[in-house]
Amino acid sequence: MTSESVHPSNIAAELSIDFAGLKLQTPLVLLSGCVGFGEEFTRIEGYSNRDVGAVILKGATLEPRMGNAPHRVYETPSGMLNAIGLQNPGARYVVEHVLPRLPHHETQFWANANGSSLQDYAEVARIFDDSPVTAIEINISCPNVKEGGVHFGNDPVMAARVVEAMRPMTSKPLITKLSPNNADIADTARRVIEAGTDGLSVINTLVGMAVDTEKRKPVIANVSGGLSGPAIKPVALWKVHQTYAVAKQHHIPILGQGGICCAQDALEFAIVGSSAIGIGTGLFYDPLTCKKMLSGISEYLNRHQLETFSSLVGSLQH
Amino acid sequence: MRNTIFEENAEILANVKHPGDQFVMRVRAPKTAAAARPGQFVHLRVSGERPMRRPISIMLTDPEKGTVDLLVKAIGEGTRLLRERKVGETMPMLGPIGRPFDLSDTSKRYVLIGGGVGVPPMIFCAMALRGKAPMVVFAGSEVEFPFALKPSTAILPGVGGNAILGIASLEDRGIASRLASNAGLYGCFEGHVPDLARNYLAALSDDERARCVLLSCGPHPMLHAVARVGREFGIPAYLSLEEHMACGIGGCAGCVVKTIEGGEEKYRRVCVDGPVFESSLLPEFA
Ligand SMILES: Cc1cc2nc3c(=O)[nH]c(=O)nc-3n(C[C@H](O)[C@H](O)[C@H](O)COP(=O)(O)OP(=O)(O)OC[C@H]3O[C@@H](n4cnc5c(N)ncnc54)[C@H](O)[C@@H]3O)c2cc1C
Ligand SMILES: Cc1cc2nc3c(=O)[nH]c(=O)nc-3n(C[C@H](O)[C@H](O)[C@H](O)COP(=O)(O)O)c2cc1C
Ligand code: FES
Repeated sequence: MTSESVHPSNIAAELSIDFAGLKLQTPLVLLSGCVGFGEEFTRIEGYSNRDVGAVILKGATLEPRMGNAPHRVYETPSGMLNAIGLQNPGARYVVEHVLPRLPHHETQFWANANGSSLQDYAEVARIFDDSPVTAIEINISCPNVKEGGVHFGNDPVMAARVVEAMRPMTSKPLITKLSPNNADIADTARRVIEAGTDGLSVINTLVGMAVDTEKRKPVIANVSGGLSGPAIKPVALWKVHQTYAVAKQHHIPILGQGGICCAQDALEFAIVGSSAIGIGTGLFYDPLTCKKMLSGISEYLNRHQLETFSSLVGSLQH
Repeated sequence: MRNTIFEENAEILANVKHPGDQFVMRVRAPKTAAAARPGQFVHLRVSGERPMRRPISIMLTDPEKGTVDLLVKAIGEGTRLLRERKVGETMPMLGPIGRPFDLSDTSKRYVLIGGGVGVPPMIFCAMALRGKAPMVVFAGSEVEFPFALKPSTAILPGVGGNAILGIASLEDRGIASRLASNAGLYGCFEGHVPDLARNYLAALSDDERARCVLLSCGPHPMLHAVARVGREFGIPAYLSLEEHMACGIGGCAGCVVKTIEGGEEKYRRVCVDGPVFESSLLPEFA
């Protein structure tokens, strides 16, 4: 094992960040749907919640959802497809039975809110408002459910209405997760900012499919799935870059994501305007990647004589 | 139940090719070797080219030497890349993962039924049960077995005719085993391995049969047949399932199988809620 032992306490000076009014101990954020309800990766020797600024819990809906039939995942070149279908026990169950078990002193836990109507989204926000999560990410970009999800995210007006519906229900920061599958991400960003979002998550997965030629069937039972991993990194960088042009005018931070696997990836996202660094598929490749990323980021900051990670954010020269 | 999962940089100590695109790999992974229990698997990053990991059952461990043995069939790009890995190379490996087979009730007679690259967990179970509970191992293959074979000295009711060979490593330890194949392999029962197990069970006394538990791993049609045998004789069957995986440790809900528990349909994760499930919980096998 090559995991250098970097304890955040040695590097907190450079790496802690402010994000939507929250203080994160490092800029790394574990992404929704990749780390269950926060209790799975802690089984791995060497994994530490203290290496990350926040863990975003699996998407929750008002009512429990069974999710899609298998196959739900499939490796594709430099990435993977998934169509989980938001399997979750319902927001109330998460608040009553999951959140009390989590080690909130080790890191922050954020909710990921989903719905098939504006009322659903508002109710989920209300449920999580009265809970120890420190922020609520709004998933208006899930490509794998029949109703709601990406249908809201692809329509800038509807996206803003979701934020408006949730805004009065909670005083916690709202972070809106934008879809790369829509035409003008900057326009959507502007509208959700005006509707009161405190942060942006950029990007969710791209819609794709895979074919089993022997059976002449889609590999993923849902037919289409969300493409994640390094394959989408150039798209994600471009979308963050576009979104940043709008977000910086309003001082709204971006949680950049899409194929981030190593320190180099994280630095690229920061330079184009990500205040925080989201890791999903990269954890499947290497569940202990966070420690290595932190040490790589620190090394870079030292070499470039930068005192804080935040001073790198949006530093693209062009 | 929630054991620690280790990430080790497993060094390949041996990689021996066998007929039918199969290969046996021995890797050094001391923490996994010390903690593994029968039915658990490892999640291997076979190559940088295919960074998503591949789940492979643990066939055998040597906790003293810190080694783990795997039997793999190259069926696609990932397993082909794994087959070409050289002795001395290393690869990231997570393990041990999954709920093991429950071998705790030593008043039972364990009937272990493995097919193809589903035989490995049965070998691990057999080694763990040795000296603790009565058992028999039935293994099926459509290509030459990737194990040394030798005539079995155990007399098994209902099992006769051509079925004279067993797996040498088991026979040497006094564990009775017999083989089945449709490919006309010498010394094997001609037919499917669940039929061999059925012949054996049918020849037991009612009392003996009632004490039996079926443990099985192998291709889907074989698991269906094992579940049917269990139903036919009214004995429980525990099946080790396969499903595509991403994280391999319970975080993504990518690897599910449908269960019915208390009348309610659910999707359970094969990686951490399984891979072993009782067949009566699985509508697909009920
Ligand atoms: C718990 C468990 C234990 C296993 N133990 C063994 C073993 O001991 N020996 C052995 O040879 N095989 C075993 N398998 C099957 C093995 O994981 C697959 O054959 C392998 O993942 C195929 O990868 P590939 O890239 O060669 O095939 P491809 O078909 O090219 O794979 C494409 C994708 O689908 C996935 N996939 C395809 N088939 C399977 C499958 N049957 N199970 C899970 N994922 C699959 C792959 O992981 C990959 O992500 C096990 C599977 C599971 C779930
Ligand atoms: C298996 C899987 C499940 C996911 N589930 C969710 C989810 O429930 N809610 C959500 O907002 N995003 C979900 N996502 C999207 C990720 O949070 C992330 O935005 C996306 O995968 C891109 O980042 P990555 O390339 O680092 O994985 C999921 C992604 C994967 C791979
Ligand atoms: S593979 Fe991720 S939950 Fe099983």
